[in-house]
Amino acid sequence: MMDGTRGPEPRSTWRVGVDSGGTFTDVCMFDEATGRIAVWKVSSTPDDPSRGIAQGVGEGMTECTGSPDDPAAAIAYLGHGTTVATNALITHRGARVGLLTTGGFRDLLEIGRQKRPDLYDLFAEKPRTLVPRELRIELPERVLHTGEIETPLDEEAVRVAARALKDAGVEAVAICFLYAFVNPTHEKAAKRIVVEEMPGVFLCASHEIAPEFREFERLSTATVNAYLGPIMHRYISRLTPRLADLGLPVAPHLTQSNGGVVRFEVAAETPVRAVLSGPSTGVVAAQAIGARAGFGDLITFDMGGTSSDVALMANGQTTQTNESVVHGYPIKAPMLDIHTVGAGGGSIARIDTGGLLKVGPESAGADPGPVCYGRGAAEPTVTDANIVLQVLNPTHLLDGRMEVHRDLALDAIGKMADSLGMSVMDVAQGIISVVTANMAKAIRVISVQRGHDPRGYALMAFGGAGPLHAVRLAQELGMSTVVIPRNPGILCAMGLLLTDLRADFSTTRLVPLETGNLDTIAATIARVQAEASDWFDNEEIDEPRRQSTARVDMRYEGQNYELSIPVPEEPVTDATLGALRQGFTEAHTRMYGFAVPDERILCVTFRAEATGLVRKAELPERPLGGPDATGAITGAREVWYPETGGFTETTLYARDLLAPGMTFAGPAIVEQMDTTTLIPPGVTARVDVLDNLILELRA
Amino acid sequence: MTSQPLSLTLDPITVEVIGAALSSIVEETGEALVRASYSTNIKERRDCSTALFDRAGRTLCQAEHIPVHLGSFLDFIPMLLKDHDPAGLRPGDVFVGNDAYRGGGTHLPDIVLAEPIFVDGALAAWTVNLAHHADFVDRAHAHIYQEGLRIPPIRLYRAGELQKDVQELILLNCQVPRERLSDLRAQMAANRVGVQRFQELCARHGVETVLASGEALLDYAERKMRAGIAALPDGSWRFEDDFDSLDFDEPIPLAATVTVAGDEITLDFEAPPQIRAGINMTRTALLATVYYIVKSVVDPTVLPNAGLARPITVRAPDGSILNCKHPAAVNGRVQTCQRVADLILGALAKAAPERVSACTNSTCTVALFSGNRESGPDKGTYWVYLETIGGGGGARPHADGLDGIHVHATNTSNLPVEALEVEYPLILERYELIDGSAGTGRYRGGMGLRRVYRATEECMVSVDISRIQSRSWGLQGGGPGGHGGYVLSPGARPFERGVGVLRAGEWLEVLTPGGGGYGRPGEANDSTDRRPIAAE
Repeated sequence: MMDGTRGPEPRSTWRVGVDSGGTFTDVCMFDEATGRIAVWKVSSTPDDPSRGIAQGVGEGMTECTGSPDDPAAAIAYLGHGTTVATNALITHRGARVGLLTTGGFRDLLEIGRQKRPDLYDLFAEKPRTLVPRELRIELPERVLHTGEIETPLDEEAVRVAARALKDAGVEAVAICFLYAFVNPTHEKAAKRIVVEEMPGVFLCASHEIAPEFREFERLSTATVNAYLGPIMHRYISRLTPRLADLGLPVAPHLTQSNGGVVRFEVAAETPVRAVLSGPSTGVVAAQAIGARAGFGDLITFDMGGTSSDVALMANGQTTQTNESVVHGYPIKAPMLDIHTVGAGGGSIARIDTGGLLKVGPESAGADPGPVCYGRGAAEPTVTDANIVLQVLNPTHLLDGRMEVHRDLALDAIGKMADSLGMSVMDVAQGIISVVTANMAKAIRVISVQRGHDPRGYALMAFGGAGPLHAVRLAQELGMSTVVIPRNPGILCAMGLLLTDLRADFSTTRLVPLETGNLDTIAATIARVQAEASDWFDNEEIDEPRRQSTARVDMRYEGQNYELSIPVPEEPVTDATLGALRQGFTEAHTRMYGFAVPDERILCVTFRAEATGLVRKAELPERPLGGPDATGAITGAREVWYPETGGFTETTLYARDLLAPGMTFAGPAIVEQMDTTTLIPPGVTARVDVLDNLILELRA
Repeated sequence: MTSQPLSLTLDPITVEVIGAALSSIVEETGEALVRASYSTNIKERRDCSTALFDRAGRTLCQAEHIPVHLGSFLDFIPMLLKDHDPAGLRPGDVFVGNDAYRGGGTHLPDIVLAEPIFVDGALAAWTVNLAHHADFVDRAHAHIYQEGLRIPPIRLYRAGELQKDVQELILLNCQVPRERLSDLRAQMAANRVGVQRFQELCARHGVETVLASGEALLDYAERKMRAGIAALPDGSWRFEDDFDSLDFDEPIPLAATVTVAGDEITLDFEAPPQIRAGINMTRTALLATVYYIVKSVVDPTVLPNAGLARPITVRAPDGSILNCKHPAAVNGRVQTCQRVADLILGALAKAAPERVSACTNSTCTVALFSGNRESGPDKGTYWVYLETIGGGGGARPHADGLDGIHVHATNTSNLPVEALEVEYPLILERYELIDGSAGTGRYRGGMGLRRVYRATEECMVSVDISRIQSRSWGLQGGGPGGHGGYVLSPGARPFERGVGVLRAGEWLEVLTPGGGGYGRPGEANDSTDRRPIAAE
């Protein structure tokens, strides 16, 4: 209602994504009303990242919303991705944790699966144990695999243990008893007593965080959660008032390793689910862009200075895994299946004692950086090879802001060439080939090793170095299409504007997939879906925005690794069981080349994936124009290609001048502030309506 | 050599790229094997290995699974080719074998499946995998005929068609045939992956390039091995130790002399004649152990292929415990492998103490349970459960030894309690590190493990332990590790040579040895672990 005397109600139309990285904090802002995307970058503040974030958001709002008087009122949503949890785990700066275990099993955390960390290296170390032995306390209690209680929990012993841990100054307590995923009575009782004795302590019981079988992995998950809990609590409790001070009218959200976001309060309880918070947002952005651009089957390739993250999505669906080893620690938590390899622009090339060329995983980092930076580095990196080949601008990087020295890179690689008896250009190209092979190996892990043929997928490349190496990588894997999004350098921050609220629920229940068990199977599916429904209520997600899908992890009786099969729409009937059986048989044949028709199939873990749909940033489209791209040409440079065996004149294009509909062919190079795209001879490029660059490789 | 030079030039980069592809193929086939398998020994404990071989049967690449399994791989293809004319091989042929004297194996439960890979109609390579089938149990070990069914390399599939007769013969000789059949299927699945991936690799790079690169990778491993050996001082060093076991009364003296000359290394072993017990090693088991430990000390990054063996010479008396002849029993050969690896460490410690660890727990402790199910849906069926238990690692020059791990020739996982108790009538009461089991030292040895099992149904048990009388030695003044042993619940009938019956409600406690310490105790210790060290 307008009364004619006041202006229009200030509309909250801006969605804000904040990606807090090691060097920069990227703030990506999107106006739902106009489709405008704005980016604001500030330096990160590693001692207290919340300062940099608040500063970035504050400045970004004021600069971008166009309502400087009350910019906060224009904000409809704030999503945030953080590496706080990951960093605490890598640097071992987590909380002092106490652990309560079943009697006889306090050392399990250290023993793990009893394998040594490296098969051949006598000097390799195990990952550090997160709870010292004196803070691991055994309690008299025992539950059997049937759920039956053999030895009741000694509650007095729990009380004594809690007091001892309190005296020892622990900030967090993890509880993991055998078979708590079958019968959590003892864990619940122990938790109640610990709360009484240690009010305010961060508590994690294994049946809450990972109610699944294999005790070591469940224990590890509960322990990592407790280890990170107080860190995440502190972080969020610093950030929350800073954001409140800015007057933001919305509850901020944090991304999880599964690519979804949850409210800060929820995130604070389950930090173990945020260890891949950073890279997951890039994957989500790639998924959204792929969906709009018509690429459902995608492999994402996020290449930075020290490492590359790769992930796969089939039919527009990201691949999720429910267990992974992160920085040495097994974690059972829903995560995007992101694989990291130590291959980046700063990866160092060396000749080893057997005379072969190796690249990475050692990285030159930001300082001294590659040889061509002229800061005293002597060992050539991938970036130096690109400078020598002139794939990268041989005199300046970052839109001319940074001078580089090709002669230094040439010297360094030349020395290597002498000892290999090869030409300097062959070695420079060789460095690219070897790093490409390393990255291809990472992609094989997430594709072929999971039963997907990469040749049927498009490669979406982003990160500072992704577009530079994408075509070479695609060639190595036999892929024919490469997609370079409009803003490869800020894709993670953008992903925050493109993601839904997400939560995953699971319960382990071993039931044979047979008609006689229909009631049990239906009831168990209903149970996880009820948990999803409670979560929707808690998150205040209204009916139309709720989306929930159920899956059952199944295997042949006798096997121990399951294949996850989606449950068709309710209600659960005999037909559902038939569909599950068929889905399993197909999946097993795809993975292992055989199925056994008469073998009994066991349902093991029932899962519900709950999604609360949020209004997401709409990627703006521009109308298609003519194919002539000459208007975007900024010049030419000689670039060395293995295809031509020499330097070849290469057309340079400015990304900012490219427009939808334009097409051109390699050899070409597209330059933009945050990245360079290489289009070798034989590859064609076109710009789609979303300003994506689509590269087609010859079959 | 005929006048048929390779018409291609190989650069180090192509070789590196193809090497990475070969290692990703063997890792992938291993993963398929584990995931599709049924027995706890493979699906959870991962007691299996995968590899690729060239046409002549030389290792192109072995996955990082179990070092001693290389012993079964080394002679499999050469022996197979003795019996089977290569011209008669067809795509889809799959060979099965396990024999220690005719099948290239090192003990009978390790069943190998090998499939030739054809590219453009010609044999290009072999995909081979091995799974330790927990079967052939409750046997005597006076000679190999008591230890299980001996299978020479024969076709299980002929041009893709199952040879049912062969399969039936094998399964009838197994105590848990359903599990064997399912695990054999998983082995088939793994080879299928190997064939497909290798053919794809050839389609991409050309079969000649791939084969030539394979050749170059062998040369490369050899060069790296030679460079590593050359970095050791020249000289000759002898080390001896006692090998003790429940299988015999008097400890057996073993010795190794390691001689480094330039870029070559020679290992001469002294060992008594083979005995009527399952601890004898075939020559291939000895070679696999030597290759493993020399690579570990010289350069752990050397590619695990046949090239690394070229600068290594191994000599052991024919018909001795370390180089046994038909019909010696070999089932428990891994115990001997472990002792041999530590012998070599001991000799090399005199040459380069900063390159080695003190003695590990020197054994691969085994607990084997079997019985007839007395309840449940499978009542009356025979069950077998095999597990191996880690112990202490040796202390290192700059760090404590690792606690509760598998060392040297083996590296299997434990079985989760929550899987063990679902599958077998056993309850695990305790699983923990043993205080005081580690050798003292500036850096202490790794701690041994205690595992306590309670039977809920009567079962037959066999325990294989070592370091009963002897102890794992320390280095540079470090103390020795603790003993291995076992304890039965009061009232249980005593075991004989580690074998006996456990009745419902009775328990068995198995203790594994700790590793030796490094450096004199009491010297400045910059170790971060403040755990109490062994009380001597």
